[in-house]
Amino acid sequence: MFNKSANPTPLTLLCPIKNGAVGDQSFASLTREYLQTLEIHDRSPMAAVPNTFLCRFFILNDVFFEGSPAEEDHLQSQYLVFCCNFHGDLETYLRGFWQNAESHIRNTWRYCVAFDEVKNAESFVAYIKKCSVKTTFYFNGSSGEPLTEQLKALYLKQELSQFACDTQNHNPQQLRAAFQHFIERTQPTDLGSPTWHPGQNFIA
Amino acid sequence: MAGKLKGLQTLSLIHYARWVVIRPSQFPRLSKSQPKEKLKYAYTLFFSNFNGSWAQYVDSFHMAIPTGLNLAWYKNLRYPKSIPLQPFHRYILHNQIGTEHYYNPYPMASANDVKAALALKAELIKLAQSSENLSDEEFFRRYKAFLFQNQAHIGKMAPSPVVSLANQATQERRRLIKLYGRLESNQG
Repeated sequence: MFNKSANPTPLTLLCPIKNGAVGDQSFASLTREYLQTLEIHDRSPMAAVPNTFLCRFFILNDVFFEGSPAEEDHLQSQYLVFCCNFHGDLETYLRGFWQNAESHIRNTWRYCVAFDEVKNAESFVAYIKKCSVKTTFYFNGSSGEPLTEQLKALYLKQELSQFACDTQNHNPQQLRAAFQHFIERTQPTDLGSPTWHPGQNFIA
Repeated sequence: MAGKLKGLQTLSLIHYARWVVIRPSQFPRLSKSQPKEKLKYAYTLFFSNFNGSWAQYVDSFHMAIPTGLNLAWYKNLRYPKSIPLQPFHRYILHNQIGTEHYYNPYPMASANDVKAALALKAELIKLAQSSENLSDEEFFRRYKAFLFQNQAHIGKMAPSPVVSLANQATQERRRLIKLYGRLESNQG
């Protein structure tokens, strides 16, 4: 029930949360509280999950009532909704998710129905597939390149923009030497390093 | 449908968007202990990731693809159409859901920055590889031509004051927790 139509691939999950509470706080509320306390940007647990593009978590409390002539409608469960865009195939992505963010996964999904059956990466993959809903229509306004490629390109854009400013008054000899040094320093064809790291929100 | 939404391409502030239309029988039911959904309607979930403010985004949609929007939502109950703007705003505000945690691998970059960076990277590698045996003067001319041809792709990025509503909400929660201690949750 997921789409494999493009890179990045859209993944949408509706994970039912158990109807229950700890003390006077519902399982849905506890899940929300955990998500709200997460660090953001490069300290988000999702920054450690390879090939994760934009993603979000929220709680679907109920459906919306639009007023007359609509009839009132209500959900029987609340749902944890996870929505992301990832690069590559689903199973590889989910195994990477488990391997790099297991404790975040356990904290996030701990109150969800049937999550107690998840013991390892393979059972996590099976669980996620059961929660997936099909994307009806998808629009990619960005790029389909792998994340490492995009982060390296952004790093180079930043560095080159500064280089262009710094060398405006260089003569041909100075410019040539500076450019050679720039290429040696930035290694444009090496995706591994130097580069921006996932979630980076500062200029080094 | 895709043709009617072609104007989305002109809305260069969007990274990714998706529509998920879900019928009552498609809500995942993972255990017999989970009560069956008894919904009367199918529901549209619309997700979007964009640069800029809520108003800039919604108003751009309204200006660029009013017909496409109407086509995407015309079966939705009480959808007021995308023109005029105020009922359209009210409809979105009534139906939108706040995100609890949001992650973006490049919060300093817009969708245009990503596309520009990839184009620039390819041209930079070409320049580096093709200039090894050039004289300094010839390299100078080649470099200036490179800058001229790629000027639309060059520009520095920086953290924006409000990267996302989730970021803003996190900052606000931290401020309140610092002032008052742990916040009691009344939601759910």
